[in-house]
Amino acid sequence: METDRRTILRWLGKGSVFAAFIAQIGAAARAFFPNVLYEPPSTFKLERPEDYPQGYSFNSEHRLFVVRAANKFHVISAICTHLGCTVQWRGTEFDCPCHGSRFDANGNVIAGPAPRPLPWFEVSLSPDGLLEVDSAETVPQGSAFTTPTEKA
Amino acid sequence: MATSVQRWWHKLVWPWSPLSEREASEAIVRNLWLHWFPAKVSGRSMSWSYSLWLGTVAASLFVILTVTGVMLMFFYVPSTERAYGSIKDLQYAVSFGRILRNQHRWAAEGMVALVFIHMARVFFTGAYRGARVLNWLVGVALLLLTLMLSFTGYLLPWDQLAYWAITVGTNIASEAPVLGPTFKYLLLGGHFVGQQTLLRFYVLHVFFLPAVVWILFAYHMWRVRKDGGLAAIEPLRAMRRAEPKEMPRSKSYSLFGLTPGTSVAVMSSMGLEERDQVASSPNLTRRMILVFLVVFNITLLLSLLVNAPLEGPANPSVTPNPAKAPWYFVWLQELVASTTVHLGKVTISGGLVGGILVPGVLLAALILWPFFDRSTVSAEGVWFARERTRQNVVFAVITVAIIILIIVGMYLRGPYWRLYWPWSPRPVLPRVL
Ligand code: HEM
Ligand code: FES
Repeated sequence: METDRRTILRWLGKGSVFAAFIAQIGAAARAFFPNVLYEPPSTFKLERPEDYPQGYSFNSEHRLFVVRAANKFHVISAICTHLGCTVQWRGTEFDCPCHGSRFDANGNVIAGPAPRPLPWFEVSLSPDGLLEVDSAETVPQGSAFTTPTEKA
Repeated sequence: MATSVQRWWHKLVWPWSPLSEREASEAIVRNLWLHWFPAKVSGRSMSWSYSLWLGTVAASLFVILTVTGVMLMFFYVPSTERAYGSIKDLQYAVSFGRILRNQHRWAAEGMVALVFIHMARVFFTGAYRGARVLNWLVGVALLLLTLMLSFTGYLLPWDQLAYWAITVGTNIASEAPVLGPTFKYLLLGGHFVGQQTLLRFYVLHVFFLPAVVWILFAYHMWRVRKDGGLAAIEPLRAMRRAEPKEMPRSKSYSLFGLTPGTSVAVMSSMGLEERDQVASSPNLTRRMILVFLVVFNITLLLSLLVNAPLEGPANPSVTPNPAKAPWYFVWLQELVASTTVHLGKVTISGGLVGGILVPGVLLAALILWPFFDRSTVSAEGVWFARERTRQNVVFAVITVAIIILIIVGMYLRGPYWRLYWPWSPRPVLPRVL
């Protein structure tokens, strides 16, 4: 009995030192997953609707295209769905410089390795009259935001 | 004066001076530098034509990289705002800074090539068999680490190449099943490429990866010794073994040898005879110094003649057109560009197939190959053994395929990654954004 308790206590002692050691390693590893990120918000404002010409305008800060047809607006991501390069608008289609993906005017894949169409983001009008985009919200193709006619 | 300096030097590193042949061997073991070498080495291990000394060339490049790298650390600032400028300063404002940077870059590219060629040598000479399997596996790890060092290294200038390589590279990582996105988050230190990312890759590049390479390299060399020298001695060893004689047996030494079956007494004499061997110093050491000096001078000459590339500063909104990886990764770029598969409604991205699965299969093949090699001892340590012809052809075909992909990627790809003949004009594109 005497030795048994000793053995158990000894193992408890060794075990807890070892467990503390492992926990320490876990804690050190956890530190590499940041809790606070200094990253831009997913919702941001663009220009006023009337500032956009008809057709496709590239916004380099947010890497997206604002597309205007009369007073209808939609926003297509310029980030290639393959591996994240910035696609370019070439008049009739989007082409990617990294591995040659091609997307039609709506962002559907025509050719190349891209697995998915370019996403469309939700657009609205902010109270101060600027277009507002939420890049965390994708919307189905064909959705558009229509400005009140007197604005456009 | 000279002699007292010499005396002091000897006191510090070599408290022993040889009086006999036997003592000379002892002396090597007792010298701070020379104890890295075995006292004796066989002529075959040392020959130029067997190993082509490719491993030593790779090691020399790594020494150059370590020294030039530490010097670069005095000038380079790992900040997204200042990294690019500090490289420009090295290029244009620091005396001889350009040569320093060039030499680091050319030695790095050389090391990727040489480590691969060294591996090809080991393969074609069937030198990974028996106990050397372990060293082959260490080698595979060293190859991966060499590639990781290159990848983390060319990100540091924070130019366009760096930025888009991190973007594409970490997106490939995130294609991995289940843990991919977590791994990407860990690499980037967030969701976007930024300061945290640069700092992480910097620490990996200047400390973590080189430290692991140094440790594994030391182990690699220790294994070469424990395995009795290079595989080139195996035919001779087999011959000597067949000659009838008393083999020393000593159970007490077997603790030292990880190699099963042979005792250290046998290993240390390599199963060879006195006449098969020469003293490592100066025979081996002289060649080593010669190889190092030749490698050093070639990289230096290159550095005087050709400048390391530097693209425009990182611009997150515009991807260069075409955006090309460095030559040793461009075959992977070709793979990710062409391996997206559509199975009915399911699409599997080339990032997963060409970026993870294909390289994963190649890596698995490298790791498992020795265990499936059924050739006999007579194919060990000889170039292009007839018995291994089929295996050698497979290795060569894969190598040639990779080289073809590299050539296509480097010379035939133009804007938007379209194919062009090298001589056909590439369209001059307006900067359409
Ligand atoms: C950092 C990279 C590496 C360095 C510095 C290095 C260094 C060396 C050196 C100096 C030798 C002595 C023979 C020679 O010079 O050829 C050697 C032998 C050897 N290396 Fe490496 N090596 C590296 C990577 C590799 C790789 C990628 C492999 C294979 C996957 C490999 C497998 C071997 C084997 C099996 C031997 C024994 C060869 C024999 O007995 O003939 N090494 N290495
Ligand atoms: S990132 Fe656009 S095609 Fe690969």
